[in-house]
Amino acid sequence: MLQVSEELIDLIQNRAVVKVIATLDERGEPYAVPAPFLQWSERGELVHLEPLEKSATNRNLLRSLWFGRTVSVTVYGPLGESFVISGHPIKAHICGPLFRHYYQQLRSIIHDADLSTAWIIKPISITDETYSRVKIKEEDEFPFSVHLDRLRADHYTTERILS
Amino acid sequence: MTQKLQTNLDQIVARYPDVPPLIILKTDVQRRGVFYSKAALELLDEAAHQTTGTHIFGARDGMIALRPESLLLRDGTSIITTPTPLDENPYLVDVKDGSPWLFDDGVALEAVDYWPAPDFYAKSSSSGVPMKNIVSARPQRLNIFPYRYCTFWNNNKGCSFCDIVSQLKKGGKELNIPAKLDPHEVGVVVGEALKEPGRFSAVFLTSGSIFSGAEPFDDEVEYYIEILKEVGKQFRTKKFPSQIIGTAFTKKQLQHLYDETGLMSYTADIEVLNEGLFDRLCPGKSEWIGYQGWKKRLVDAVDVFGPGRVNTGLVAGIELTSPHGFISEDEALQHTLSEAEDLARQGVSTVFIVWSPRPHTPLGNQKNASLDYYIRLARGLHALRVKYRLPIGYDDYRHCGNHPDSDLSRLLPY
Ligand code: SF4
Repeated sequence: MLQVSEELIDLIQNRAVVKVIATLDERGEPYAVPAPFLQWSERGELVHLEPLEKSATNRNLLRSLWFGRTVSVTVYGPLGESFVISGHPIKAHICGPLFRHYYQQLRSIIHDADLSTAWIIKPISITDETYSRVKIKEEDEFPFSVHLDRLRADHYTTERILS
Repeated sequence: MTQKLQTNLDQIVARYPDVPPLIILKTDVQRRGVFYSKAALELLDEAAHQTTGTHIFGARDGMIALRPESLLLRDGTSIITTPTPLDENPYLVDVKDGSPWLFDDGVALEAVDYWPAPDFYAKSSSSGVPMKNIVSARPQRLNIFPYRYCTFWNNNKGCSFCDIVSQLKKGGKELNIPAKLDPHEVGVVVGEALKEPGRFSAVFLTSGSIFSGAEPFDDEVEYYIEILKEVGKQFRTKKFPSQIIGTAFTKKQLQHLYDETGLMSYTADIEVLNEGLFDRLCPGKSEWIGYQGWKKRLVDAVDVFGPGRVNTGLVAGIELTSPHGFISEDEALQHTLSEAEDLARQGVSTVFIVWSPRPHTPLGNQKNASLDYYIRLARGLHALRVKYRLPIGYDDYRHCGNHPDSDLSRLLPY
């Protein structure tokens, strides 16, 4: 099972954190929209609440479930933490106790909201895109990409640039 | 034999890469039926799940017994299917890791859910009738079957695939289901059902045809109006998402029905898109309205309800029955789609159900069509909706769940 850090779960569960879901349309073109109600389930899956039946994202999620395509979710925290989670939509809840739970949850957040589908997305990979962390890794692994002015003798920085 | 059919499913999935494998599986399960293992039935919980018994038409094995009403796939699609005897080679619903799964030839194919029971199923009306015997449910739809008899059977001219009368006898005797519903009681039950958050998104009515009245079928129309008025009292809007499957009414009757009620869509099932077969297989409809008359009334209904709010249903497979049906599936398909196109260009959609032969019906001992046929039919009807831009939201996976062709329309932006 995919390891997911507490840091990432906390970010996902924090409604103030920006989340974006990207899906593929019928032409294979990406389509990304905010996913303010995205959450993490106890079963270790993402839950995406899609209010509208005919939204492009709802239809793209269905297409992904039907034809085995992946979707991705980007999580962007207040301190620049950034993660990209790719996954497979595996279940569309349109009724039953779980659906009802999320329907009531959504309606408690947005006045007169409706809920088309509670999508369950099984994560298959997580990429840490947090700049401060990725930068160090990149400069270690690809030192020839660094601009030399940053390495000038008189350039003062507290940052770690090349070991 | 089973292995061959399993291979057949895989072949069809490979042959039609544009059709979701889940919809192909659903169609085949509808075609072949299901058999519930003892373990699968032990998972059935009457408090949590819908069980069989409330429907207007019967099961393939002719029994009324406690079984799951139907199944849900993980894409939210319903498989409305009937329990089928093992010797007819149905899919098996058995248990895997504590949950129900569809099996074929010992291979676990897909997890399924039993339809969840709505809250009002636990309650009874003031007259003591269980509410589920007055109004029943699909995952998102309230089903009202106001009249469980069809007067076409008075002179034995009911449709050749129909078991409404034998089901009525069983329903009345074994289940305490009233043959004719009290409109006020229907309204009360709908009000109770609406208390459940997020459960229902449509009201649906259907009954057998009632040809009596000043004009033929006036009594049927008036009865629907009575019921819909009571149901309408439960809503704050004049119109509410709703569908009726009725007889093909005259334009005057349709206008009256539309004006007097909250009804938003209209369906009159032509059953088979061929005049000769319609006359033979639906003799009551033929006698009272006729094939061309039925089509004309469907088209007239578009003026009343609007394009994309009127459709007709087929019992797909009966067009291939002997001795009068089409000999080849190609010919049947070509003919059916050409007739469906004639309706589509005039604003009328066509949907189909997979015919499951019922015992004690004139066609009961015949077989339904091949999976390949049903998938080609689903693609063809869906393509017509795309070509003529006909929305089918009132009869889709959410509101009915019985039409593989309208499942495909889920991807459309309208
Ligand atoms: S119209 Fe035909 S299918 Fe419908 S109830 Fe009457 S006999 Fe049965």
